[in-house]
Amino acid sequence: MDKAREPVIQVKNLYKIFRVGSSKVRALNGVDLTIYRGEFCAIVGTSGSGKSTMLNMLAGLEKPTKGEVIVAGEHLENMSENQLVKFRREKVGFIFQSFNLLGTMNAVENVALPLMFRGIDKKTREEKASKMLDLVGLSKHKKHRPNEMSGGQQQRVGVARALVLDPEIIFADEPTGNLDSHTSEEVLKLMRKVVQEKNQTLVMVTHDNHLAGFADRIFHIIDGKIVKIEDRKDYKEEEQ
Amino acid sequence: MRFLDLLRMSSTNLLRRKLRTVLTVLGVVIGTASIVVMVSLGLGLRKTTMDQIEQSGGLTTVNVYYYEYAVSSSGSSEEQTQRINDEVVEQMAQIPHVEVASPVLSTYVLVKQGAYEANFSIRGMTYEALQSLDIDVGEGQLPPDDGTLQFFYGNQTLTNFYNARTNQYYWDTMEAPDVDLMNDPVFVIFDMDAYSQSQYGGTDENGQRIAPPKKYIIPTAGIMAGTLDDYSDNSYNVLAEINALKAQLKKVFKNKAIPGQPTNSAGKPYKEFYYDEVYIRVDSMDHVSEVQQAIRDMGYETYSNAEWMEQTQNQMATIQLVLGGIGAVSLFVAAIGIANTMMMSIYERTKEIGIIKVLGCDLGDIRTMFLMEAGFIGFFGGLIGLILSFIISGVINLVAGEYYRGISYIPIWLVLVSMVFAVLVGMVAGFFPALRAMKLSPLAAIRNE
Repeated sequence: MDKAREPVIQVKNLYKIFRVGSSKVRALNGVDLTIYRGEFCAIVGTSGSGKSTMLNMLAGLEKPTKGEVIVAGEHLENMSENQLVKFRREKVGFIFQSFNLLGTMNAVENVALPLMFRGIDKKTREEKASKMLDLVGLSKHKKHRPNEMSGGQQQRVGVARALVLDPEIIFADEPTGNLDSHTSEEVLKLMRKVVQEKNQTLVMVTHDNHLAGFADRIFHIIDGKIVKIEDRKDYKEEEQ
Repeated sequence: MRFLDLLRMSSTNLLRRKLRTVLTVLGVVIGTASIVVMVSLGLGLRKTTMDQIEQSGGLTTVNVYYYEYAVSSSGSSEEQTQRINDEVVEQMAQIPHVEVASPVLSTYVLVKQGAYEANFSIRGMTYEALQSLDIDVGEGQLPPDDGTLQFFYGNQTLTNFYNARTNQYYWDTMEAPDVDLMNDPVFVIFDMDAYSQSQYGGTDENGQRIAPPKKYIIPTAGIMAGTLDDYSDNSYNVLAEINALKAQLKKVFKNKAIPGQPTNSAGKPYKEFYYDEVYIRVDSMDHVSEVQQAIRDMGYETYSNAEWMEQTQNQMATIQLVLGGIGAVSLFVAAIGIANTMMMSIYERTKEIGIIKVLGCDLGDIRTMFLMEAGFIGFFGGLIGLILSFIISGVINLVAGEYYRGISYIPIWLVLVSMVFAVLVGMVAGFFPALRAMKLSPLAAIRNE
């Protein structure tokens, strides 16, 4: 089993220090972690623990103060903003807590958005987006705008949008934070299913231990440090 | 991102906030229209002036004048410029680039036909010079070169006639006088002094009443083409061939002094004729000032349309600058409006910009998108502004009436320039907002709940 383990995210000795007035806040205080291809990882911590900062670093949305972030073989810490945008466009899918769909566009157009940034023509990208919506079970809501859909439906659109590019890695920031528990489980199961089928890597940030339980591995982060790595593979096998 | 997608995104964004877009566009419309209308007025003014200059006898003509300064104050006549005689004219003809040089011999006459009379100054010029005037002959022909004196009348000369019985001028009645210069005999009195003395009952030195001077029938060679309202350089003139005119004057005045000609100390005329004016035609407009300078160096006054036009052009440029400047102020205000609208739009769409940045929209594409939006505002403002300008220009020309027709003139280049300018103004105004959108931190943007 270990022989197939190819690291896709490597973080080495990562620091992020914010200055608040005259005092320094260490959001990340020397983090090392490795995530392998095809894994579903959860980063769990209370609010202010540095978990969101962690995710932002991995996605190249924030620059580290010190340390290395290697994602899909590329060093993010030295990239210019233009390179980071390109990196996100080509390698990364995003799922947000507040869905972040564009209110002026319908479901298909929202899902097709990342493809548009890649310069794919309208017909091809909307076909692809349409298929993706079928996959997440929104066949009937393709022409609906975000405000005409429920939270769960909107987040499915968000999932479809993150997956439409076939990215190597998918980042999800509290993806179920705005959903009720029943819908949350549905969305998470959907995410896991799709990711497993395509051998994609999924990194999810959450404060909910129960939801983190869907992951293969759980990183517990407290005060900018990883305090515990829980491997859930064995449990799951037991469950099945 | 594909260009078409960029286009689609920015136009959808504009349509999303229709009222604001319309208001911003309105600013550009007013700005563009005011610039275009203002400049069109300047251009129209310039065009009408140019047309008038062209009408009034070409740009290659130089007129030379002789003025008798301080005639008798001192005897030192050496210092004074020589009066113009045939020899001087010949010298002028030798100046490089001069094509035609002709003396102009002017003499005042009274022309009569039936009840109508008119005072004219006959301009005698050489046959060659008459040919070079580019006169549009309506009837008959130009005065011939065969030694017979024939007059050629300008098309507006009829307005000089007045009815001796009713004492009404053309300008009183606005009716063309009943004069047929071509077919009915025209009587001409050359000796104006004798005529006026006889009119008012003057006597000569012997106490005898002066008899009215002799009238001569002078045939008409031709009449210029045009109506009584068509002004041109020679439309009020009566032209004649100079040698025939000289012969006629010598015959009329015999040994007496010819009016307008200098006399020697004994009051007797000189053998040769002297002129107050010379007509010179230069081969091209570029050499006019050169020729003028050469003649000034000889000590004569010169006048040319070309010289005048240069001054006029400078004045016109100033007028245009002022008019355009007034328009530019309103376009500048419109540009501030665009910048403001774009700024507002960016604040409103902060989150959206953040999302598309996180999803991997190229920074350049974001900038282009906003620039396009601003450019669109400029484009539509410019387009509608131009349409409005054409309407205003049409109304101005309609209201301005006959004389000022074409006072507002919009050439194609103005259409193109103002269009490009409007788009450019939009894009310049949108540039900093676009840059701001581009630099927006995606993280801060998506955190903005």
